[in-house]
Amino acid sequence: MHLLIAKKPDDKYTIVIGCGRLGANLANTLSDEGGNVLIIDRDKDAFRKLSPSFGGLTLTGDATDIDILQEAQISKADTLVAVTNSDNTNIMAAQIARELFQIKRVIARLYDPERECVYREFGIATICPAILSANEIDKILSEAGISDNDPEEEGQ
Amino acid sequence: MKTKILLVGGRNKAKALAVSLIGKGYHVTAVNDTYEDCLKLAEINKLDVINGDGTKPFVLEDADAGSADIVIALTPKDDENLVICELCKKRFHVKKTVAILTNPKNTPFFYKMGIDSVVCAITAITSIIEQQAFMDKILNLLPPSEGRISVAEIPIPASAPAACKKLWEINLPEHAIIGCILRGDTILVPRGDTRILAGDMLVLISSSQQEPAAVKELTGR
Repeated sequence: MHLLIAKKPDDKYTIVIGCGRLGANLANTLSDEGGNVLIIDRDKDAFRKLSPSFGGLTLTGDATDIDILQEAQISKADTLVAVTNSDNTNIMAAQIARELFQIKRVIARLYDPERECVYREFGIATICPAILSANEIDKILSEAGISDNDPEEEGQ
Repeated sequence: MKTKILLVGGRNKAKALAVSLIGKGYHVTAVNDTYEDCLKLAEINKLDVINGDGTKPFVLEDADAGSADIVIALTPKDDENLVICELCKKRFHVKKTVAILTNPKNTPFFYKMGIDSVVCAITAITSIIEQQAFMDKILNLLPPSEGRISVAEIPIPASAPAACKKLWEINLPEHAIIGCILRGDTILVPRGDTRILAGDMLVLISSSQQEPAAVKELTGR
């Protein structure tokens, strides 16, 4: 608690698109850290996933609709994070943010790493769960490999 | 070598387009992610059908997108159409990409993203309905340049203010000209001293904004 209060209030404005497990978690964290957060989802029931202490704003609508993004005051945003369950929606929202509104930091989640070539040229950072999980599993496996003699004790 | 066209998504639109394009002698391949739709599409003679999600690069590869001359994205979702066209442009270097769009406000954004041609079904349909409802007897032939210019056929009845006047006597708006007069079987390309007669059919070319003013000047309506 002490740490939270001591921290300077962060007046960065972040827009999160998609209130799934990742989006809701991220919005909660950013809001707890004192940042300004707005979260957009097509389905208003999705906002149930936000914690009761969530201090940001919610907006119901399609994030590939420029009007909705303008309602979210996208031009004032420092960061936009696109984490809906559809790769295509994430690509489109991220590109609108980057190309039409010149948002400095745009991050998008991409289930299919093969589509990344579309993003790279636009300076959009991508997070690919499959690759991250593969790396992590690989790391665990190689750790297990070292302590092969005594797997029980090492127990993950 | 036949021009190769790839149609991605769309059910009835893809069917109708495929039939028409094959009839014109193009080589057409259709990609659709619903198996039932693929079966329907496969009934069309000479059409290659691929079952799969066209927003995935490997499906496009199966459909040989690299050798396509034109790719047309027909899915009902704008974001999918955007991704299809971008993948085809960037990865498969397709010369011409066409996307249909449901949200007309996205049109400039799609062009900015490098898609060669954007067709907004809603804008096209609403403009046709408007014409039918409000401008009866006047036929808009085609809306070139995304509807900024319009070409219309306008009949001149005897009661019209323009009837029996010479062209230079008519005070047409700045961005409107009469390109052609159809009189019976003859076609006249008018000059300033050409007289408009009752029963003529005028072909009016104008900016969309000034079209109603020009029509009013000619027919009084």
